[in-house]
Amino acid sequence: MDHTLQNTHVKLLAFDLLSLTPTPDPATFSRSGKLLSRAEIVGTITSRDHKPSKFIKFTVDDGTGCVPCVLWLNHLTSLYLPRRDPSTVRLIAGVATDFAAKIKIGLVARVRGRIASYRGDVQIMASDVVIERDPNMEVLHWLDCLRLARKRYDVVVNKS
Amino acid sequence: MASSAIKSGALVNLTELHPSSQFYEEGASLRVTGKIGTKENAVIFNEKNKIYYRLQDYAVEAAMAIIADGNAILKIDTQHLRDLSFRVGSIYQFIGELHIQADCEAILQARVGRNVDGLDLNLYRQSLQLLRQFQADRMNNTVT
Repeated sequence: MDHTLQNTHVKLLAFDLLSLTPTPDPATFSRSGKLLSRAEIVGTITSRDHKPSKFIKFTVDDGTGCVPCVLWLNHLTSLYLPRRDPSTVRLIAGVATDFAAKIKIGLVARVRGRIASYRGDVQIMASDVVIERDPNMEVLHWLDCLRLARKRYDVVVNKS
Repeated sequence: MASSAIKSGALVNLTELHPSSQFYEEGASLRVTGKIGTKENAVIFNEKNKIYYRLQDYAVEAAMAIIADGNAILKIDTQHLRDLSFRVGSIYQFIGELHIQADCEAILQARVGRNVDGLDLNLYRQSLQLLRQFQADRMNNTVT
């Protein structure tokens, strides 16, 4: 398996992301012989379920599929997060809260995060959410996905 | 492929939305883009029923908008949209479900809408074709 894309946010269309193959490692997925763990998608927010201080779940529709996303908001209260400096945790929590406030149905968002599986379905655990105001950004993301697939993601590297 | 309660709106040009099209189906989830009729173009001619509409009157009475792309038009039911005002002459994009009435007229019941003034429509249309080709190629490679 090719690991060279494992630590970058690969730009994928929704139908491509939702077709990724799980691997024995729950943190990685495979696509065309390459291991992926992070992705970037762009699309219209079509649903939103906000539980303050817990999470916000939302879906991103890019015209090829709907990607479920979750942004965790429980940094200050969760017992399961790795131990970190409290000031860092507060900073991360603040950033996540700001992102959550921007997520509104009808807006176009660029979402980056870890690829995860929940109840058998692929989803994104969001780490960055940027609202795209320029209506051409969604189209440019399509073209980025096509170009990167052709030039990088679908290229088979022969190891001699 | 993952399932979702929220269906993705298939990207379709208004010119592709006719009775013989694969997209022209009751309940189909679509994403459409078009310009809200201008005041100068307020009289819309419905070719099927030979009914003339005055855009402004129709929009005010029935929470409907009419968008156009070239000669193709589509009625949009906007009653479920919030925080969206319409400017005649502006370009909007809607995601929603297609409803085909008894008189065979199609209306999109929009659940999401946004102003997309500034969208390069030529780039959009050309990119959509490339996107469809890419999607078809990926599906074929998955099957074989």
